Amino acid sequence: MPRYILSRLALAFVMALLATLVIFLLANTVPGDPVLAQLGDLAASNKEFVAEWRAKWGLDLPLWQRYVIFLQRLLHGDLGVSISSQRPVLQDIRDFAPATLELASIAFLLALIVGIPLGIMAAVRRDSWIDHLARLISLIGVSSPTFWLAFIMLALFYGGLQIAPGPGRIDAIALPPASVTGLYLVDSVLAGDWDTFRDALAHLVLPSIVLAAATLGLITRTTRASMLESMQQDYVRVARAKGIRESRIVIGHILPNALIPVVTLGGLAYANLLTGAVLTETVFSWPGLGRYTFRSAVSLDFPAIMGITLIVAVVYLIINLLIDISYALLDPRVVR
Amino acid sequence: MTDKLGWIDRRRLVQLLGAGGGAIAAGLPANVFAQARKNTLVLGIDISDTITLDPARLAQYTSPMTVSAAYDSLVTMKPGEYINVAPSLATKWARTPDGKGWRFTLRDGVKFSTGNAMTVEDVKWSFDRVINLGDQPSQYIAHVDRVEIVDKSTIDIILKLPAEPLLSIIAAPEFVVLERKVAEANGGTADKDAKTKDKLAAWINGNSCGTGAYRIAAWERNQQIQLVRNEHYWAGKPPFERIVIRHISDGAAQLLAVRRGDIDAAFNLIPEQIAALKTEPGVRLAPLASLDFVYMALTQEAEFNKALAVKEARQAIGYAIDYDGIVKSMLGGAALRPAHYLPIGVSGSTEEIARQIGFKQDLAKAKELLAKAGFPNGFEFEIIYGNAAVQGVTYQDLGLKIQSDVARVGIKANLRPVDQVNLRTEYTTGKAKGGVLTFWNPPAVENQLWAAAVVQRVAKRVHWDPPENIVKLVSQAATESDPKKQHDLWVEWQKLVVDQANHFVLFQPVYQIAVRNTIKEFPLTAAGWMLDLHGVMPAGG
Repeated sequence: MPRYILSRLALAFVMALLATLVIFLLANTVPGDPVLAQLGDLAASNKEFVAEWRAKWGLDLPLWQRYVIFLQRLLHGDLGVSISSQRPVLQDIRDFAPATLELASIAFLLALIVGIPLGIMAAVRRDSWIDHLARLISLIGVSSPTFWLAFIMLALFYGGLQIAPGPGRIDAIALPPASVTGLYLVDSVLAGDWDTFRDALAHLVLPSIVLAAATLGLITRTTRASMLESMQQDYVRVARAKGIRESRIVIGHILPNALIPVVTLGGLAYANLLTGAVLTETVFSWPGLGRYTFRSAVSLDFPAIMGITLIVAVVYLIINLLIDISYALLDPRVVR
Repeated sequence: MTDKLGWIDRRRLVQLLGAGGGAIAAGLPANVFAQARKNTLVLGIDISDTITLDPARLAQYTSPMTVSAAYDSLVTMKPGEYINVAPSLATKWARTPDGKGWRFTLRDGVKFSTGNAMTVEDVKWSFDRVINLGDQPSQYIAHVDRVEIVDKSTIDIILKLPAEPLLSIIAAPEFVVLERKVAEANGGTADKDAKTKDKLAAWINGNSCGTGAYRIAAWERNQQIQLVRNEHYWAGKPPFERIVIRHISDGAAQLLAVRRGDIDAAFNLIPEQIAALKTEPGVRLAPLASLDFVYMALTQEAEFNKALAVKEARQAIGYAIDYDGIVKSMLGGAALRPAHYLPIGVSGSTEEIARQIGFKQDLAKAKELLAKAGFPNGFEFEIIYGNAAVQGVTYQDLGLKIQSDVARVGIKANLRPVDQVNLRTEYTTGKAKGGVLTFWNPPAVENQLWAAAVVQRVAKRVHWDPPENIVKLVSQAATESDPKKQHDLWVEWQKLVVDQANHFVLFQPVYQIAVRNTIKEFPLTAAGWMLDLHGVMPAGG
């Protein structure tokens, strides 16, 4: 098992580097000039200014040299300096990642807590009203455009019914808790600040529901389908014949087998959430990685783009590894 | 008989859902922070373009508002008055005895937010730093030779070319006074090698060391900027304990927030949202006249387009566009339209003058000019634009409008949307083959900056080699000290460049800011920093 993990990690690292190379080459084929994205009109026409700027960001060096510099920096744990924020990319990512991590995790948890039981019940009571309800919810979740859903939720619960707080991670007047992890829920508990905890939690409700919507549909349908398939297996009939309680059969026998595809797809869905959701973050003014990625791409901020690519690749690869490990736990036959 | 769903019965399920929902509802704070709300001003605005809060490096659109709240310049501009400057940290100014520069008398009793008194050394240090840092703001005072201390309340700014304008430029928030002691203690330097040695960025992007009414307490990127009252402010006690400049990227979300009172003002509303607020009690719409404008630039390079190389052909386009339609229908009337690159409100540019000397729609004249140009049946040209919008009107919509307008005289406009960065690249390197729809906003309120741009770098972009008389006129007008003569020179200059027909200004936005009636005074300004935060007053005293 440990060898398996180590070899997977090594592979993951190589894949991540390959990803950065591809993105680097792609980003450099775009005809736009990143200097012009950053400089005001007068400076952009001043040849000396532009030349200085270019030299400062290493943009005047040949392509291969720039990539080599990137790799060299990476060996020291340095992702370079973002051209648009003029701060180390690592610092930018450290700033924005916790917000996305918090939101993605809560959204995913929500999707799991609602989706898996719903999927189980839909399978166990096939074609009943709960099955139809589950399928309807899945359909709505998956087919609603995120931007539309985000705004509808905001307009309805914040603007109309006025039971939810507005955009942002906490109230405008509140001060964020002392930063330990960057996750407001965790930090406010660590500081014993229950007001801020409730405020942060309240602000998480709407955006998590929006993000959970699509994932929920996926998880419900997958759980349902997988459960239905597992329910047909012989061992279930044997267990029933032995007189085991129905609930024990469902939870102890069918569910672990049914969960494998759910874990696969769910894991990938989580990775997707972790890399940021631009539209949701825009509507809720959530200072996360999604918006950062978008802005970096649009302004051709090469260091930031490369940094994000690396992080995204690493996240996906780690999640994939965790999925593989979980197979071993769910199904002992895998490792042997 | 309970209905069993697997192992859980329906009744238990409903109970669970109800309990869960109740827990969430109970957990939502009703209004934990109501008490602090009254003393805090909250502005809702998209501040995602903020890169730095260091005045000497300022070059973005929204950050000047924060910087001008925390720092003061020697002179300032009052809202509505964009020709003459008003006293700020300097009470008097006049030419130096030898005529080579300007002499400023500093105000007594000014303190920094630390409580320390402002000295003439702080003023000199601040200017030296801008010059030696060599970042973007330094370009606008490139004609300053040196700053000299005369005595402890007098300072001279000596110019390389004494007649060049200075006062309106230094009113901009890039040229404010920093507290030297604090800045140097945090990595700042004004020495000649400041370009490489200055390390103030880390500290100043979350703090401030100025004389302004409020001081910067925190900047959480893409979330908010927090300002707190400066207890030592020289112009009286500022009314708010805290100001929160809250980042809300979506205009629609700002609309909801201003309705609910979570923010006191919303800056990024588009016409449809503004219309929705017209009947809202408790919220009013305050006009923010600006000196920005949206324009179309036309190249005259014959190799790109034979027709556009002919002046009369370009003028025909100018007479074909339905400007009133754009202002009235697309913007709901919330805009002005200057004749050329001098926005309405500055010397030489008023609505009346613009009406007299600017282009207006005249299809008959357009056709006549086309015939004179040698293209009686019209011609084709390309218009490129970026994927953006100003005041809620997308460049795409503007392009479509112009396309349909010029079609009425037989001219065919081909629209090509381009990515914003590529647009700037194509345009600024002079590769645009036809028309370019884009935006201009001033770094400082000085006619010379606009006019010089037209005859220098913008002329290059449209492949125009301006004749000497037009170029000379720019420096003549800029250095003319008699206001009436100066005004007339600018009018003359505008007539000449309008005739040249390389630029058509489509509109000068009058942004509408939604303000709650709990705020009595909300002094919006077109001078570049949008709002005089020190002048915002709550209602009810």
